[in-house]
Amino acid sequence: MLFNSLEFAVFFPLVVALYFLLSGRWRTPLLLVASCVFYMAFVPAYILILAITILIDYWAGIYLERMEGKRRKWLLIVSIVATCAVLFVFKYFAFFTKSFVGFVNLFGTGLSTPVLDILLPIGLSFHTFQSLSYVVEVYYGRQKAEQNFTTYATFVMFFPQLVAGPIERPQNLLHQFHEHHWFEYNRVTSGLKRIAWGFFKKLVIADRLALYVNDVYASPQSHNGLQLTIATVFFAYQIYCDFSGYSDIAIGTARVLGFKLMENFDRPYAAASINEFWRRWHISLSTWFRDYVYLPLGGNRGNRAMVYRNLLITFAISGLWHGAAWTYVIWGVLNGVYLVIERFTQPARDRAWALVGLVEATILRRVVGIATTFALICVGWVFFRANNLADATYILTHFHLGWDFGSIRTEQFLLRQMPVAVASIVFLELVQWLHPKISFTGVIAARPIAVRWAVYATFVIGVVMFGVFRTNQFIYFQF
Amino acid sequence: MSVLSQAEANPAPPSRHSEVTAVKRITAFFLFLVLSLLGFHHLIQFGMRRIETGGFGVTNRIVAGQVNANIVISGSSRALTHYDPRIIQDITGRSAFNIGRNGSQTDMQLAVLKTYLQRNTPPKLVIHNLDSFSFVTTKEIYDPAQYLPYLNQAPIYEAVSKITPHAWKWKWFPLYGYAVEDMRYTWSLGLRRLLGNQPAEDHSEGFQPRNAPWSGDFELFRRNNPEGVRFSIEDKGVEDISEIAALCQRHGIALIFVYSPVYFEMQAMEINRVEILRLLEKISRRFNAEWWDFSGSPITRERGNFHNSQHLNALGAAHFSHELASRLADRPER
Repeated sequence: MLFNSLEFAVFFPLVVALYFLLSGRWRTPLLLVASCVFYMAFVPAYILILAITILIDYWAGIYLERMEGKRRKWLLIVSIVATCAVLFVFKYFAFFTKSFVGFVNLFGTGLSTPVLDILLPIGLSFHTFQSLSYVVEVYYGRQKAEQNFTTYATFVMFFPQLVAGPIERPQNLLHQFHEHHWFEYNRVTSGLKRIAWGFFKKLVIADRLALYVNDVYASPQSHNGLQLTIATVFFAYQIYCDFSGYSDIAIGTARVLGFKLMENFDRPYAAASINEFWRRWHISLSTWFRDYVYLPLGGNRGNRAMVYRNLLITFAISGLWHGAAWTYVIWGVLNGVYLVIERFTQPARDRAWALVGLVEATILRRVVGIATTFALICVGWVFFRANNLADATYILTHFHLGWDFGSIRTEQFLLRQMPVAVASIVFLELVQWLHPKISFTGVIAARPIAVRWAVYATFVIGVVMFGVFRTNQFIYFQF
Repeated sequence: MSVLSQAEANPAPPSRHSEVTAVKRITAFFLFLVLSLLGFHHLIQFGMRRIETGGFGVTNRIVAGQVNANIVISGSSRALTHYDPRIIQDITGRSAFNIGRNGSQTDMQLAVLKTYLQRNTPPKLVIHNLDSFSFVTTKEIYDPAQYLPYLNQAPIYEAVSKITPHAWKWKWFPLYGYAVEDMRYTWSLGLRRLLGNQPAEDHSEGFQPRNAPWSGDFELFRRNNPEGVRFSIEDKGVEDISEIAALCQRHGIALIFVYSPVYFEMQAMEINRVEILRLLEKISRRFNAEWWDFSGSPITRERGNFHNSQHLNALGAAHFSHELASRLADRPER
């Protein structure tokens, strides 16, 4: 079920009403049923795959807590392999076999690619990672195994974050299913405001920009350099608003029910370095890779070459996690390379800045850093969004060619939509920039009820009238 | 630990009373929100229905029953851009009005004609423009916003619902149609009207000339379709054309089916053109309607008369309107 659907507009109030009407012991089962309904609205049969992952890791958690010694380690490995096998079959089998067959065919073997015509279950990578983090945390004794199957299943399937995160750690989320949540006015309204903000990002910004991006990236060869540039910058905001909008709705939805999910984004395009960008972008995934891939590989320990290797491996896997295609792998590796170069050149860049008399804290240096980081990230987004490597190469080599200000519009994106698109991005950045300085919700909350309600209603009407309602899926659902 | 942070760490459970109050306040807000959406919707509709210029101005005149012309021209964008009622009126001395609809097929043209007949004095003559698309039904409504303020008109709502089964949401959910179906911010015209602004007037008695030279689209079209094109003949399309004729017959209105000029090179590319023309002629005979085919008019041979292969430009429309009006003037009254 999509958050931006009429079904969800009926489903969510119903779940909230039932949740707070039921006594404590029935609430988690209700959330489990609701989560099943939510997930089955996509492809019902795929709930069986989710059930397999849940069963494996539920029992693994219990036995990991009971076992000792080597058997325990083996159980962890079996559980990880079994969970990853599901992901591999559904997400990567076709990719790896196609790549392998393509490679051996270079030597004239004439092999044909075996066909496994299956759809990727929505959000598989997300709940797989959440399950994996549970067994690893239980293995290291940082989390007690959950004995109640319903509670564990609800932890993996919790509908607000089931299909696109945030990828929660058991320490943060699991215990919340054992707590009683009251219907608190301030918390519930705060959740509703967060949902409204998420819808603004998704419907007004992401889905409008998608019209432009889809047109240009569908056939880059028939668009000029200016259109390619605009489409790439638009995609940077599309993917940010799509994904962070989803996270806002997920966090807000959970908050209404009394749950606190982790923050997933922190103004990523205000980052002045690639390292800072990755501390602000998809935080739940970045920290997952840091804790379960980068640090076990050695992290920052060892010599420079080892650290660089660890970075590249982590980002290559991160690229592959996003999608089973070489464009994603290149995107991941490219970000790893950025980080390696950033680390490697840090002392030289510091000296160069010092030479022109700019110490670290200057605004100019930060602005240059933000602009450079944004440009580099956009280059990466080209690989992420392009349909294939040939298109990505074409776009990157044609950005600067044939700028024609007379033909900015595309087939789906009329020129009259441009002011709305640009104004909404400016509004977003302005609000995000001012947010740490001014609490907008606090300022509005201090007004009389008539003013408050008028402001909220105007915002909702604005989202309705300027939003794009073409039931576009969230981009990250496919991962 | 300060008192404040202690309170934050262990918030006291709210009383039953405060929970009930919270539910009441949130419910009240959502009621307020629904009322606001409803109010905004009606504000837009109110403004849209008071536009006096442009395409909405034309429809508003039709719906308000302010046209009452002697001759009515109906059809698609080809009708809209080919027939200048002022020229027809000058030559024939009879009032004329163009209800042609951009991007419409016969099903929607029939709905507009029915609406006209319900709200205005029936004309003496209907000129229905035909083309090779006349037997094709609407798969997706072009520019749905043009119909949104008029879903209270039974023929329009009925036709729209047949094409788009979820059109009931457009009618019953406040703002749904404008928000979901309209990507052009058409709703802003309604608000601007309330502030006293009218859209630029680009229609004259319903006629919207295209002041544009040859676009070059035809060359691209010909390159992409070197073998020519075949137009479908759908049973429902045949039914709709017949229904237009039957409707005029029921109202005692004379009907002329007119095949207005199509650029001659395009005519040669239409593989089943003869079959379509024969079928149109057959329907005309069946309902005792007149059949005027301008395929051979000298207008069709001059590229300077066209904007593209299907549409005359303003100059071509003036020539055609003269030719048609002269023939109308010579036509004995039935």
